[in-house]
Order: sequence, then C-alpha cells, then structure tokens
Amino acid sequence: MKQKIFVIAALILLLCLILFMTRDLFFSHSENKPNPYEYDLKALKSADTTQSLYTEDRQIHTRLAEIHGVATDAADNIYIAGNGGVEIYSRDGVFLKKFSIKGTARCITVDVKDNIYLGMEDHVEIWNGSGKLITQWTSPGEESIITSIAVTDTWVFLADAGRKVVYRCDLSGKMIDRIGEKDPENKIPGFIVPSPYFDLGIAPDGSLWVVNPGRHEFEKYTFDGRLVSTWGEANMTMEGFCGCCNPSHFAFLHDGSFVTSEKGIERIKIYTSGGKFNSIVALSASFEEGTKGLDLAVDSRDRVIVLDPVKLMVRIFVKKK
Amino acid sequence: MSKQKLVIILLLLLTVQATSVFAVQRFPKPEFETGYIQPETQVPSPRTEILAVMDVVVLLLSLSVISWIVLKKRSRNGVFLMSVFSLIYFGFYREGCICAIGSIQNITLALFDYNYILPLTVIAFFIIPLVFTLFFGRTFCAGVCPFGAMQDMVAFRPQKLGSRLNAILGMVPYIYLGLAVLYAATGTDFIICRYDPFVGIFRFNASFSMFVFAGILLLSGIFIARPYCRFLCPYGVLLNWVSRFSRRHITITPAECIQCRLCEDSCPYDAIDFPVTSRNPESRQVMVRKLMLICTLIPFLIVAGGWTGIRLHETLAGVNGKVKLARQLLDPATLRIQSEPFEITAYKSSGKSQMQVNEEASVMLKRFYTGGWILGGFIGLMFGVVIAGRMLNIWRTDYVPNKGTCLSCTRCVDYCPVKSDLSKVNT
Ligand code: SF4
Repeated sequence: MKQKIFVIAALILLLCLILFMTRDLFFSHSENKPNPYEYDLKALKSADTTQSLYTEDRQIHTRLAEIHGVATDAADNIYIAGNGGVEIYSRDGVFLKKFSIKGTARCITVDVKDNIYLGMEDHVEIWNGSGKLITQWTSPGEESIITSIAVTDTWVFLADAGRKVVYRCDLSGKMIDRIGEKDPENKIPGFIVPSPYFDLGIAPDGSLWVVNPGRHEFEKYTFDGRLVSTWGEANMTMEGFCGCCNPSHFAFLHDGSFVTSEKGIERIKIYTSGGKFNSIVALSASFEEGTKGLDLAVDSRDRVIVLDPVKLMVRIFVKKK
Repeated sequence: MSKQKLVIILLLLLTVQATSVFAVQRFPKPEFETGYIQPETQVPSPRTEILAVMDVVVLLLSLSVISWIVLKKRSRNGVFLMSVFSLIYFGFYREGCICAIGSIQNITLALFDYNYILPLTVIAFFIIPLVFTLFFGRTFCAGVCPFGAMQDMVAFRPQKLGSRLNAILGMVPYIYLGLAVLYAATGTDFIICRYDPFVGIFRFNASFSMFVFAGILLLSGIFIARPYCRFLCPYGVLLNWVSRFSRRHITITPAECIQCRLCEDSCPYDAIDFPVTSRNPESRQVMVRKLMLICTLIPFLIVAGGWTGIRLHETLAGVNGKVKLARQLLDPATLRIQSEPFEITAYKSSGKSQMQVNEEASVMLKRFYTGGWILGGFIGLMFGVVIAGRMLNIWRTDYVPNKGTCLSCTRCVDYCPVKSDLSKVNT
C-alpha cells in the first residue's frame, strides 16, 4: 500500500514535470520574463549602505575643469592633478597652491622629498612643490599611457596602460626593467588592460603590487619582475570584482590592507593584506551613475581620499566611530 | 567497493551542484579594443580535434565492452561498473555534451539547413549507438548513456506500473521526438537541450528550474525506474525501433526457459514479455475483424492526428522567434506594457522593417503548417501502432525481454536459475 502511494506520488511528479515543459514551451510569454541578456546592475548597486564602515567627512571642490589623479604627501597635504594644472590643499581642505602644467596629468604621486611625479599621457614630468618643472623623462613609446606611478628610495615604477606593461626606472628616469609581460614559462599571464585604468602601488612592506584589470586580480611582483602571488576573484558579489577593468584604482592603508575602487558598479571597498574582503567604504549611491576614475589616496591617519572626477571634488572618508 | 558506497559517492558529487544552483551568470564579456586576447572559455570548453576523436574512440570501446558484458558475461556488476565509468566520463568529464539524445536535433537541422555544418563527432554519436543496437540491443542504454546511468543508480525501489500505464506514458517520447524534430527542422530551438535535466548537473551550473527538474526525475526514479529513459527520451524511441531488429539480444535464460517464473517481477522497467500460450487461439473470424479494425484505425488516427496538427500549427509556431516577434509587433497590448519584451528591443536595433518581419513569420507559419500535419500524423500513427500491439496476441512460450523496451540491464539474468548447461539448474 505504502509503495503504491509512493508510485502515485512519483507519477504525479512526472506529470507535473511534463505539464511544466508544455507550459514553458507553448504558453510562457516573454513580456513577463526578464531579459536574460540584459546587463542589469541595479540590484548590485542597491546594496545595503548600512554595511559601510566609513562615513564621508569632508569634500574639497577643485577649480580644475578636469581631474584625474589624487595623492598625499608626508604632511598629509592633498594634491589634485588634472587638465592644465595641479592643486594642493591642506589635510583639512584649505587651498594652498596651484600651478599650471601643459597638457593633462593622468596620475600623480608625491615622493618623500615632496617631488611631484605626473604621468603626462605618454611621459613623466617631475615638479617641485613650488610649481617648477624639475625634469621631463623621455616617453617609452608613442602609444604609452602612464596611468600610475610609485616611487621608492631607489626606483620609480610606471604603469603603462597603452603598452600593458610596468617599467622599473631609476631615479633619473632610465628604464631598467619591464615587468609583467606575458611569459608562460615563468607563469606570468600578462596584463590585460582593455581601457586606460591600470594601477600599481608599493605596499607598506615594500612589495610591488599591480592590478591586472582584465583578470580582476592583484599581482605581486619582485622588483626584478618575478611574479610572487596573486589574489582577486571575478564575480558580481561584493567580495569580487566585475566588469571591464576593475579594480580601476587602489591604495594601501598602513596595515597593508587594500582600498580599491571600481567603475561600472561604483564602489570603494577594503580588502585585508591577504586579499580577503573586509569592509565597504562607499557604494554606488554616493556617486553619479557612470562615474569612472575614482582615484584613491590614503593619508597618515588612514583617511580614504577619493577623487570624484564627475562632481569635480575630492571626498574624504573616515572610519565610523 | 559495494554498489551502495559508489551510489553514495556519486550522490555526494551531485550535492556539490547545489552550491552553484543559485550562482549568477558571469558578467557578459565586454568588447575590447584590438590586441586584447579574450580569456579562454571554461564551460563547456570546446573540444580540440584530438579530444573529439578520443571521445568517439571511447564511445566505440565502451559500447564494445558493454555489449560483451551484457551478451557474453551476462554480468550485472559489469554493467554497473560500466555505468559508473560512463557517468564519470560522458557525464561529468565531457559535461554531457555532445550526447546521442541531443544529436537528433543537429542531424535534423543539418538535413533542413544546408548552411549548418554538422561536426563528424555529432554524426558518430548519433549513428554508433544505433548501429550497436542493431546488432546487440540497447546496450547503449544499459551502461554507456550517462543519463541512464544516473537514473539507474537511484532506482532503489522500482515498482511495476502495469502495461496500460506504461503504454500511455510511453507515448510521451514519440510526441517529444516529433516536437524536437519539428523545432530543429524549422531552426526554432533545440528543445531537447532546453529541457535537458542532467547537463546542468554534469556542468555544475544548472539553473534553479533545471535543478528541480533533475531532482524530480531522480526522486520519482526511486520508484519508477529510469523515468526519463522510458517516458521522455526521444533517442530511446529510435533505439526502441532499431532494437526490435537486433541480431543478438540479451535473453533472460541462457538455455531453455523452465517456466519457473522467478524472473517475472525482476525487471524494473516492465520490459519482460510473459508467455502467451494458455489462451485459446483466436478464431479466424476474430482475427480478421481485428485486422480490419487496425487497418481502419491506423489511417484514421493518422488523418485525425494530421488534422489536429494543422489546427495547432499556429500554437506550435508560437515558439518560433520570428513568429513570436511578428505577433508581438501586431499586438497592441505590447505597446501598453511598460517594459517592452527584449525581442522587440532587439528588433528595433536590427533596422528591419515590420513588413520583413511579417514576411519571415508567414514563411515560417507555412512550414509549421506542413510540419504540424506531419507531426500530428506521426503521433496518430504511433498511437495506432501501440493500440494494434495491444490488440494482437503474439504467441510466445517463454519469458523474454521485450526487444524494444528492454534496456539490457541484465537484472533479470540473475533471477534465472538456469545455467547455460541445463543440468546445472540452481536450486
Ligand atoms: S535486461 Fe531484463 S531486467 Fe533489464 S531491462 Fe531487459 S528485461 Fe528488464
């Protein structure tokens, strides 16, 4: 008897299955169905903002018409670079200085001696704090687009999005090494840089990290170009990176954690030094839709300084108390 | 390792699937400037030529081994081990693609669309199991088809359904086959793949509905053995036909049947034909009347089926993208819905005029008119054949596997006390 009930139940299940197939094939209407090919970011953008551990502390409005890079110096002054000039603000947002440059600076870095390194499309210019051009390096190539610069005591690292490679140069600008070119023998996948968002940085422990944006991962290299490790996962959850060329920018907190920014789904997040998702700084709701180029800097107090090129300002996020 | 342990391991493998059921589709690949090398696709990765050849070789070897196990060794354990191998190789490793079942559609499409290039592997996967079936019965179903293997392993408490229910449910594969051929021939859709319950499991990427689909089949498969193979599989229809002409087919007893009736309930698929000897032979008059009835019934069912097919051709055509689009464009209700169907969005960006869309749809409707007729006629014919089969009493003295529906699983063999040498009857 019991067996019979099971058989009847199994038969009903089978029948339901056949009915489902028939209904799905003949009587389902696409008006009610979501477009399976639609790339809908709304759900991802509307993540819970209460998860954010940071709050926006202040905003600095720039007078530049187009901005691309932000950096801080040892005294926590804030440098904004863009088309035609560089502006310097105090840590509290008080305007200190501005100087003009010829052309557009795509990225900016300030070294310990307060020399200002500007990535001027295809070449690097070094300026001092009073707005004097110290030197201009020769361009690595016509198609070069310098999108990030990192400076140590002895080396300068340049990320070239145009040629999809990182250069190690000495302080005089002489190119010593090319890092990250595809090399299957040494298990180097090569940088995939579909658009000019290609960042690098020196971690507090002195190691060189480069974003491989097409692969949605961070790659750690020795200074002579050996790939040491990678982290990063391509997926659409909060823990991963998705879309084209993400993360677009990053910076380091003092404990070695990564602060990352993304475009497409505008969000700023923090990952531990081991690459584990840690917390949210800001989500899409804080930015205009379509904002790209959220360059990042971190000052000595671990405030996260975000360049907002659409709203033409620098926004400072601090940890909630 | 005991069978139970193996089954548990395989079920554990399936549970891994549950983690990916709700997984979101990966971000669509963006368009990149020249010079960018697309990362390799992972699932399902296209097979290199050498691997495709290897698949065909493995298929040939597997069919040879399983046929030898079934017909020579008559070993249930051997069949079970082959099923495990096939589940792993053709199922999880090859991700269930290309399968013989789905190849029906590729073959059909190639016959109707000369622009469609049919890979040789597909032809091989379609033809080779049929050829083996022609010689050795449905040994492919016994231990090479991963879909069958998966269901066979969960058939823990198979129950008999009775011949009438078997016959009624057994009509579904004919309808499914007819629809699959119609939709493939018109370039509408590969519905066998669309409703493939197990491929998602093999690839660990089943959508939620497909996971439920597979779950239902496996769950009901505990009590109704191999429900997909018996009551859905369109390739099974072809194997059933071909197997009826098989040169050598598994027999329950290796020698003469001693009518011990021990095998009577051994088949989980109700595929054993019982002896028909006790009844008085029907009188000539009754026989003639039955034959006349069949001869009238079958043409009638074909015509009735064809007529129904014509009546339903518009519904059948509604699945076709071109017809669907034309209908949406003509339907004023479409304009009233807030979010327009994505077909309309795609049409708008295609630059096609509505006239062109309508013309394409009317050509398609004509094809469905003919196709509907043939499909209906085919289903009517199959109904007729099944009814005729039930009306005619075929004289039989022994318990024998039904050559069409027997899946050569060798379960019944273990029940037979007769050894090849009749003097060695197990007691
Ligand atoms: S081999 Fe025997 S038990 Fe297996 S399907 Fe055929 S008749 Fe049934």
